[in-house]
Amino acid sequence: MAKRVLITDDALFMRVTLKNILTKGGYEIAGEASNGLESVELYKQTKPDLVTMDITMPEMDGITALKEIKKADPQANVIMCTAMGQKSMVMEAVAAGARDFIVKPFQPEKVLEAVQKIIG
Amino acid sequence: MKVEYVNPFVCAAFSVIEMVIGVKPVKGTLTARPSLFTSQQCNVITGVTGQVEGQVIYGMSLITADKVASAMLGQPIRTFDQLAASAIGELGNMISGNASTALAEAGFQCDITPPSIVRGTNVKISTLNIPALVVPVMLPDIGEIEIIVSLQDRR
Ligand SMILES: [Mg+2]
Repeated sequence: MAKRVLITDDALFMRVTLKNILTKGGYEIAGEASNGLESVELYKQTKPDLVTMDITMPEMDGITALKEIKKADPQANVIMCTAMGQKSMVMEAVAAGARDFIVKPFQPEKVLEAVQKIIG
Repeated sequence: MKVEYVNPFVCAAFSVIEMVIGVKPVKGTLTARPSLFTSQQCNVITGVTGQVEGQVIYGMSLITADKVASAMLGQPIRTFDQLAASAIGELGNMISGNASTALAEAGFQCDITPPSIVRGTNVKISTLNIPALVVPVMLPDIGEIEIIVSLQDRR
């Protein structure tokens, strides 16, 4: 069975882009969240194998959502996918349990490589 | 306003545009404005918070916005719909995000807020008279994007 990924980004454009990349890579899309709050809800509902998490989003940012998801499921696989790459942000995400940190804009291969490394 | 706050946005714009639109931009002449306003038809507004705070606007004509969105989506757009608008917004988000990384590396820790898109000319963004610096960036075959930076040290 194909592994399932939950996409989180407030930009429809980025959700569509990630969906195309992941679908072509053989993954199934468990859901699409447009903010952190939706992502936490969808995580609990769909129990995906992995989550891609933007940081700059309305309602709830991606770092907070990452922490909430890890609280609900310490085994959760979350990779950050964000336009901000400052060291403080990377360190906070990794400390909160993020498995990888991809800075936008990215090459499609970069995303697939990161996902593959974690869930195969 | 310090000119050193503008360069990270121009540098980030160059690298992001080259990567997502696939053209090499050409930098125009820096000018100053007494307050933050835009006379462009389509504007992406991003907020900056932290040790440096304020707003950065990416302004362009509707024709340029159409071409930018088409290039980012990999196909010509028929109408400027939600998907096209979100592509333009994400372009601004990526430029401001990458610029905030550079500012943090230079010792000015800052965060950015989600982009909002404002259409309509002669939009005065702030009622405060904080000056803005403007750098036009020319994208071959696409058009001009105006980068309007209004940032100051946190008081
Ligand atoms: Mg975002």
